[in-house]
Amino acid sequence: MTFQYPLGLLGLIGIPILIIVYIIKSKFTEQTVSATYLWTLSEKFLKKKRKDNKLTGIISLILQILAIAIISLTIAHPVFTLPGAAHEYCFVLDSSGSMNIVSDEGKTRFELGKEKIKEMIEGSADGSYYTLISVGSDTTTVFEREDSKDEALVLLGEAEPGYGSQSFGEALNRAQAYFEENPGVCTYLLTDKAYSSTENLELISLSDSRDNYALSDVEYDYTVLGYLTVKGKAVSYESDATISLKLTVDGADVENGTQEISVSKTEPKDFSFTVYTEKYSEAVVEITNSDSLMLDNKNVLYNVKNENAYKTLLVSQTPFFLKSVMEVVGSADITVMEPSEYTKLEEGKDSKITGYGLYIFHSCNPKAVPTDGSVWLINPTASVENSGFNYQGVIKLDKAETLEKTKASASTVRQLLENVGGNSIYISKYSKLDTYRKFNTLFTHDGNPAIFTGMNTYGNREVVFAFDLHNSDMPLLADYVFLIKNLLDFSFPTVVDDAFYSCGQMAQINVVPNCESIRVDSPSGKISHLSTAQASSELSLDEVGVYTVTVLIGDEQREYHIYSALADAEKDPVTEAEEKIGLYGEAKEGGLDGIYDKLIIFFICLAVIMVADWMVYCYDKYQLR
Amino acid sequence: MRKSIINEEFLQQIEALQSLIKNNVAGLFGGTHQSKTYGSSCEFADYRDYIPGDDITKIDWNAYARFDKLYQKLYLDERQMHTKIYIDASRSMEYGRADKADQALRLAATIAYLSLSEMDKVSVYAIRDKEIVSIISGMVGKDSFVGEIGKLNELEFSGDSYISDAIIPTSVGYGDGMSVIISDFLTDNDYENAINHLADKKRDVFCIQVLSPDELNPKIRGKVHLYDSESAEKFYRRNIKKDIMQAYRKALEYVTNRINDVCASRGANYLLVSSEDQMGDIFFGKLIEKEVLK
Repeated sequence: MTFQYPLGLLGLIGIPILIIVYIIKSKFTEQTVSATYLWTLSEKFLKKKRKDNKLTGIISLILQILAIAIISLTIAHPVFTLPGAAHEYCFVLDSSGSMNIVSDEGKTRFELGKEKIKEMIEGSADGSYYTLISVGSDTTTVFEREDSKDEALVLLGEAEPGYGSQSFGEALNRAQAYFEENPGVCTYLLTDKAYSSTENLELISLSDSRDNYALSDVEYDYTVLGYLTVKGKAVSYESDATISLKLTVDGADVENGTQEISVSKTEPKDFSFTVYTEKYSEAVVEITNSDSLMLDNKNVLYNVKNENAYKTLLVSQTPFFLKSVMEVVGSADITVMEPSEYTKLEEGKDSKITGYGLYIFHSCNPKAVPTDGSVWLINPTASVENSGFNYQGVIKLDKAETLEKTKASASTVRQLLENVGGNSIYISKYSKLDTYRKFNTLFTHDGNPAIFTGMNTYGNREVVFAFDLHNSDMPLLADYVFLIKNLLDFSFPTVVDDAFYSCGQMAQINVVPNCESIRVDSPSGKISHLSTAQASSELSLDEVGVYTVTVLIGDEQREYHIYSALADAEKDPVTEAEEKIGLYGEAKEGGLDGIYDKLIIFFICLAVIMVADWMVYCYDKYQLR
Repeated sequence: MRKSIINEEFLQQIEALQSLIKNNVAGLFGGTHQSKTYGSSCEFADYRDYIPGDDITKIDWNAYARFDKLYQKLYLDERQMHTKIYIDASRSMEYGRADKADQALRLAATIAYLSLSEMDKVSVYAIRDKEIVSIISGMVGKDSFVGEIGKLNELEFSGDSYISDAIIPTSVGYGDGMSVIISDFLTDNDYENAINHLADKKRDVFCIQVLSPDELNPKIRGKVHLYDSESAEKFYRRNIKKDIMQAYRKALEYVTNRINDVCASRGANYLLVSSEDQMGDIFFGKLIEKEVLK
């Protein structure tokens, strides 16, 4: 037997004090009266006393001693260890990606862990308390100090494995809190990771020896010439093996898309695929050998450029310069239209031109800027409604002169002029434009804006060249390529910059102009929506597989894909494990009733009432006044 | 040395009290002290037929004119009464929160003064053990009161008292006045015979029982060992609780009823006073209530 609050035993001091008070009060006090005649005579009138009345005093003393002893022991809270006694149980269940490894029994390690917990709960004594902490993508307390076996088993059954790789730190902190509150708590850690020693907790290992292969460090590159290169490493964690690799593009086998490599145990070996494909959306590289954890045998590589491709309408009589450079630096799906045709369509009553992400007007003047996409106005020769500037005529130079690059250092300007030298762009003729909206001017001539960017009345991004590319040497300069790329990025920012992550990482989703909503479908089918209030939103990847991001831009719905691969740490849990793990403090035998803290108020009240009762009793009996 | 109880201040109080009594009551102890025989006083008593040889000066000539017959007027024979006051001088009378002895002396002095006002003769005795000690003997007239009453201050209270053994052997007189016994009567010793004896001697007997507040309503509780002030051999050892207090009250009631019954059966007067009672309250309250004063 131990005491949880030994200081409570100090209350036993009250027992000798009580006895001393009784002894003192039991002494006869001497007193002289004028005559004892009446007192002696009163004996004749005294009713015959019952024999048990003599015991009243000692019984009262015994009861009061018992009361003090019970109250003291209650406060000290003795803990008895009896066979089959109720205990408090705290289970820390590893729910990380490696727990999806299938065992020989055909069940995942996570399922085996749940079964072991279920057995312990069912085998425990009634009145026990159960806590389950799940450590997967994050640390979650599934149930806390649940005193109902049935409820605990229901909640346990609903627990699902995660795919992330969290350390047990947070879970052990929570378990430590329970342990400090009750050193008798039985803490179990169910995991497939190995530890050399544990302290104050019992490790239940769920690992077994089965073949386990994995892909790691996978990278890919798609060149302008149409060559897709996929590099990475393959590893076998259990034994030396020959691993078969296969690459498919858009669901189809490709030439030179398979290979076999021999690997030594736990030593990753490089592999590389290079295939030609004119265009692709997704490429899949996978290990075709079967093993116990398939989650890390396959990587899906999405073509980010393809995902971010956008439709462009180029209205120009001479589109060559623009079209060629845009096809190189961007993923533009370009439609070329004659200015006369556009004017005809624009003036038509029912045939409005919409549905493009970018409208480029080269040496032609639309009546008004389109409402549903970014706009480039190159060499405008008239004012364009809602464009934010007014046309004020043509300035012809006697000889070609260079443009002046802006000295502004705003981040937007710096991004737009990234890699652009801009010191030797000559022009011979340009339109004088007077801006009445706020624009970022990139180049000027004689104080007049030559190239500037901003937003039009509809909130769409706008780029304006005040000169015709034919009246400049810019298309012949390297600056032209960089500037066009920067302006394309500005006009049509990408939604997803990277489509390949590890589970547990945060994927960044850019919020493009006119973005109405961002919906995310997880690999398991969970649907969530990201905020569009910021310039970008972060998506927490806590599952392994393909996330589908659906972005609604105006009336257009665009779909992007992100692949979340199993975290490297989960591919081989044994080698990643720490050496020591445990809880601080000294464990004690025994359990807790859990409702003690509420009862103590009751006992304190009882003690106060008893003391008050005793004082009243003494006042009446011994005239303590 | 006890403090002087009979002092100038007390005498002034008695004088004031006597004036009030004179104006409000007919007299002490049943009025004037007239004898049952006819005498030569000035106070008319009755008529009888004239007998030759009678004093002709006492013939009622008015009656003769009306009835044509001689009637002799009879007058009461007045005697001087002798009030004898016995004070219990035992130790128990002097012990307690409010001194019973002081109250006894005040009562004795007041009764003596009132008796002297009636032209009675007053003697005061102390009962000590089985003897009577004369303190004031044959005091007559108010003038002598001032000179004699101070002797009461010299009275010492000690030892025990045996009322019957002390009074009976002495000359108590016969039909010539009132005998007053002032005591706490808290004793097994006999006092009934003394009352019987005085009643047999045709004396008016008046017993005054003086008790202190500690005796009337004791505050003692818990385990106590009580010693008797008169004798170390007498003691009472008990855990005094509610039941004992109830028994005590019954004992007190028994004692007061006993003496009251004895007095009533002998035609004597009985009065219970507290040592804290004021003289005015006693003489205007309790004595009138008991019709001792009328």
